[in-house]
Amino acid sequence: MKNTVRELRAHLGLSQGDLGSAMGVSRQTINSIETGKYLPSLPLAISLSRYFQSSVEEIFDVDA
Amino acid sequence: MSMPSTATPKRSKQRWLTPALALLMGLVYLVAGWVGGDLSFGVIGLLIMSLTAIVFVVLGRYSETVAGLLDRRDERINSIDMEATMIAGMTVLVAVLAGFVAEIARGQDGSPYSMLGAIGGVAYVVALVVLRLRK
Repeated sequence: MKNTVRELRAHLGLSQGDLGSAMGVSRQTINSIETGKYLPSLPLAISLSRYFQSSVEEIFDVDA
Repeated sequence: MSMPSTATPKRSKQRWLTPALALLMGLVYLVAGWVGGDLSFGVIGLLIMSLTAIVFVVLGRYSETVAGLLDRRDERINSIDMEATMIAGMTVLVAVLAGFVAEIARGQDGSPYSMLGAIGGVAYVVALVVLRLRK
């Protein structure tokens, strides 16, 4: 499943560590989400969507 | 968009649980060795477990993975830990079954592997029922 977390994070000028701190997860977890290795839980996906003020569907493409 | 937070999340007290359990097990080894008349076993066990606790604490400062395992707050690390635990459990199960079969083939009654297998089987069924009721 593809996602736009990397683009959204870069747009804000955040490092993976910054976003991880904001989400309460590690830098490695953000990296794994961005590379598609790890699919976040629903609460974390919602937290990311709220943080980026987007919908979950806009960030995570279930068809990709 | 939200303002980013660059603050490092405060570590939870949970991170001390694993090192504390390691120390506790070391003390249990010491008492067991003392009661069993093999104090050197107890002392060596305590030293090894104390060293393990120190390694956990020190590595937790440098490794995000170890820190995640100690803090229990990173869902990806928790997921990895659960899968690793499952693989370890399956490995032990296979070893117990192999040991049981080998003991039977030797003309023995299969102990202690039969008892270990029974404990594993009962634990699985109880966990299955409890988790089924909770989810």
